Parts: sequence; C-alpha cells; structure tokens
Amino acid sequence: MSSLTVARKDFRDAIHSRALWALVLTFLVFSVITAYGYTEAPELFGGEAEATFGGLVFFLLAFTALFVPLVAIVVGYKSIAGERELGSIKLLLSLPTTRKQVFVGKVLGRGAVLMTGLSIGIVVGLLVGAVLIGSIDLYALVAFVGLTLLFTAVYAVIMVSISATTGSTTRATTYAIGFFLLFELIWDVVPLAIVYVVEGFSIPSEFPPWVYIVTQVSPSTAYSSGLLALLPDIADSLGENTGGGTAGDVGSGPEPFYQTPELGLVMLAFWLVVPLVVGYVRFERADL
Amino acid sequence: MAAIECSNLSKRFGDVLAVDDLDLTIEDGEIFGFLGPNGAGKSTTIDILLDFVRPSSGAVSVMGHDAQTEGRTVRQRTGVLPDAYHVYDRLTGRQHVRFACEMKGVDDDPVALLDRTGVAGAADRRAGGYSKGMRQRLVLAMALVGDPDLLILDEPSTGLDPNGAREMREIIQAENDRGTTVFFSSHIMEQVEAVCERVGIINEGHLVAENSIDGLRDATETGEILVVSVGHVDQTTVERVQSIEGVSGAAIEDGRVRLSVTGRSKFRVLESIDDAVGPIEDFEVIEASLEDLFARYTTGNQGDRM
Repeated sequence: MSSLTVARKDFRDAIHSRALWALVLTFLVFSVITAYGYTEAPELFGGEAEATFGGLVFFLLAFTALFVPLVAIVVGYKSIAGERELGSIKLLLSLPTTRKQVFVGKVLGRGAVLMTGLSIGIVVGLLVGAVLIGSIDLYALVAFVGLTLLFTAVYAVIMVSISATTGSTTRATTYAIGFFLLFELIWDVVPLAIVYVVEGFSIPSEFPPWVYIVTQVSPSTAYSSGLLALLPDIADSLGENTGGGTAGDVGSGPEPFYQTPELGLVMLAFWLVVPLVVGYVRFERADL
Repeated sequence: MAAIECSNLSKRFGDVLAVDDLDLTIEDGEIFGFLGPNGAGKSTTIDILLDFVRPSSGAVSVMGHDAQTEGRTVRQRTGVLPDAYHVYDRLTGRQHVRFACEMKGVDDDPVALLDRTGVAGAADRRAGGYSKGMRQRLVLAMALVGDPDLLILDEPSTGLDPNGAREMREIIQAENDRGTTVFFSSHIMEQVEAVCERVGIINEGHLVAENSIDGLRDATETGEILVVSVGHVDQTTVERVQSIEGVSGAAIEDGRVRLSVTGRSKFRVLESIDDAVGPIEDFEVIEASLEDLFARYTTGNQGDRM
C-alpha cells in the first residue's frame, strides 16, 4: 500500500525537523508547568479549593484546545502546497502511486507526527499532575488522551486538506491562519452577531436553540463539549456548563440531542470527513 | 506497440497554448530526443505523460496504457527524471532510493544504484547538502530502480559538467542496450546528437520536425559547405565558381571561396573548380551543423511570436 510508504517517508522526514521537536518540547514544558500550576493553586482556576485529577484534565483542555490547532498549522500547512511549490511532489508522483494515495499518506504521516508529539506531552503533563495530586482517574486519563488524539487528527486533516487546495505556500498559510482566526478566535461572536441581526439589531433575553449548534462548529468548542460528554460527572462537580441554551432547566426532561454536549463529538466527526473530501477533490483536479 | 503515443494533444494554461495539437510516436526500444528551445512545450508534454498536468484535449498512451486513467501502471514500468523537481532535503541519498524501491515494490540495492550514477560516496548524507549535479545523479538512480522499460528524462544533463553529461549518456546507452526505451528532452542539440537515434523538434507547442539524425541532415536545403583555396580570389573567381554545376552559392571568406554544394558530389564540384577556376591549394568540408538546423526550425516563424 503506497499510502503507508508515503506516510512513513513523511514521518521520517518530519521527525528530522528541528522546528517540530522545538514545538513538542515547548508543549511538554507547558503541559508540565500547567499541571504544576493547577495542583499548586487550583482555586485560581476552578471552583474547587482541592486539586483533583478530573479538575486537572479540564484545566489542561483549555491549553490543548489552543495549542493543538497552532501546532497543526505549523506541521500541516506546507505538507502538500510546499511539495508542489518546491517540486518534490514530482519526485513522489513519478513513482507508481496515485494522488489519492499521496494525499492519504500525507494525512496519515502528519497526523502520526502530531499525535506522537502531543500525546507524549499530555501524558507526561498528566502523570506529573497525578503524582503531585496523589491520585489518578484512569478513565478520565484515557478519555482525555483519546479525545485529544481525535481532536489532533481532526486538525491534521484540516491543515493537510487546506494545504492540498493550493500550490502556493503563501496561500496555504493565509488559508490556515484564516481558518484558525475564523473558527477559533472570532467564532464565539458569529452566532451572537447572527442573532443580533435576526432579532432586529437587539439582543434577545433568551437565545434560540440553533445558537448552540452554531457555536459547536468551532472545532475546539466541539472538542471541549466532547470532553463534557465523556466525563459528565467530573464536569458537574466542576460546575461546567454541560448544556446549550437551556442549561438552566435541568428539570424539564431530557434535552434533544442537538442541545447536548454529544453534539461536539458529531462536529468533530464532521471536521474529520468534510475537509478530506474537499482537499482530495481539489488536489486530484489540479495541474501540478 | 509504440512506447509513447500522443494524438492531437493540446494543453492550454489560461491564454497560453503550451502544447498545440501535438502528434508524437516513440517506438519501442529507441532513444528519442525531444528537442526544443525553452518554453517550446517540452516539459508540458512530459508533465502530461506523467499525469502531473491534465491535457485540454487529445490522448496519450504510454506502453499501451492511458496516461491519465492508468498512470500508476505506467509509472510502475517507467523511470523518471523530472524537470524542476526538488529532493527531500532532510532525507539521505540512500533513503531516497530506498523510498523509490519501496514504492515500486522491488528490493534493489540502493547503494549499487547510487554507485552506478556516481554518488555512492554521499549515500548517507542528507540530500539537502547535495550540489545540483549530485541531485541529478541521485534522481537518475531513483529512475533506474526496478529496471524500467521506459526512461523519461527531462533535461537530464542540467547541472552536470561535461564529464557528468558523458556519464549520463553512457547510462542512457547502457539502459537502451538492455531494451529500455529512452525518451529525453533537451534544448542542447549536441547532447541529443550524441546519443539519439531519432529526434523530434518542438516549437511553440508544435512538432516542427521528426526524423533520424541523418534524415534531418539530408532534409536540410543547405547541403554541404566547402571552403576552397585557389590562389588569388576576387569577384570574378566567385562568379566562375558560381557558374559550376552543383554550386548553389559562393562568397569570399578570408581570401578563400566558401560555397555550398547541392545535388552533385562534392568531389565532382572540386574537380570542376580545379579545371575551370584554377589549381586547388587546399579545401575544407564543413558539415551542416544540426545546431544551425535546430535554429532554423525553431526561429523560422519568429515573426508570428512577436
């Protein structure tokens, strides 16, 4: 299977990159500092005075939610556009393979690079935290690491797919940063702005239910919700908001699915599939 | 079965017609030189053969397979030295060739191949530090992986010194002796002349000539050029030379007569000069250079281009 050969070569190529190791090291250091900071002064960050492993997990999430997209941009934006711009894609495609296999190989290779580096950082950070706290919640550990790997895979897919749409790294950078700005930094404002306009330029007292769905489009929001869905008990104990617009009405019966944190998992699945299709179609049709 | 067959091939980039209704056939087992000035459409044609670029119209078949739909099958049996490629800076020469072996599913010895192309000494160095010539040798080694039935080489001597260019030709010759069809492009006539059996000249996306090297020579109107010393030379000498049968033009050049011969043996012409003009002290035969020929084919319609 030549996708795997491409992925292996890409992985080998990437692990020789100093920039990548610098990022992994930075992440490792930050995750340890974060874990240490949380266990020393949990009241600064959460509602509780006592540091718990579950609290640490949620605390670390705020950090990975920002860090994963940034590292994914660095690792992914040049993956295909860079090879097209330089011309090394010609060496690759001179060999018996197809563009589909090259694309899939790139996604797998970059995904593996990201997942390896990030999981090392997270696991070390969490273990340091567990030692300092003196307890560990294995289910929370596995759920958090698993979900973070999924989130990382999602971002690897997004960034490699963005890279596959163009032969210019300048454009790939613009698209990648644009994606980050739109979906991670200003997305919170987007549903509010829509509501504001729809409601005749005023803020209503109660938000319509679709607002929650729109907020979950942001991959990092979906990631956070996903953790709420996987660890509801810890979330409750931390006073995390586990629902959408109707979070206050606990007694009003089961909420519809699209108003629950489980929607976050669906959104992550959406981001895993749709960019792949778009990136592949664009790459397949391009003149290199 | 033809090794490569392009029919009515066209490729348009925006408002530039890079390849314009090209018909080209390369027979199995031959060394074919694809010649043309920079920007004539050589690389675009090769990019279409390798499916880097999709044709606007027309069809290409390589070893009986459609280049677009069966590209993978084509490339399994083809070795390629592309134009404007870039190596993977962080991987070593050995890793490059091993990668090519893995992709082709063969277990050739990477170092043996690198040795053949003259870069075995740098096998374990990162290719990012290679010179242009070394990269060219590295990629040629990758092209030779799996004993391909067809070699497609785009400007193979780029970056090579004269010695390297000669080694490249020797490898091309050796592969051809083994039965490999070689298709290579160049904008330098003498490289093509040294190794090719047949040549196609492309200009502005058209094939303007397709023939054997000798055939191309014969097809020139120039014929052969003779430069003759006959003692004192003046305008009357030239007029007398011009009146001889088989002389199509004559002029004074450095105290000698330069004339072109067409339609008659040059020895007969020399005899006639000896008889009619005066005793020949010395003469020189200048073969019409293919370079001249190339220039003529590719600059003929310059007026259209302006």
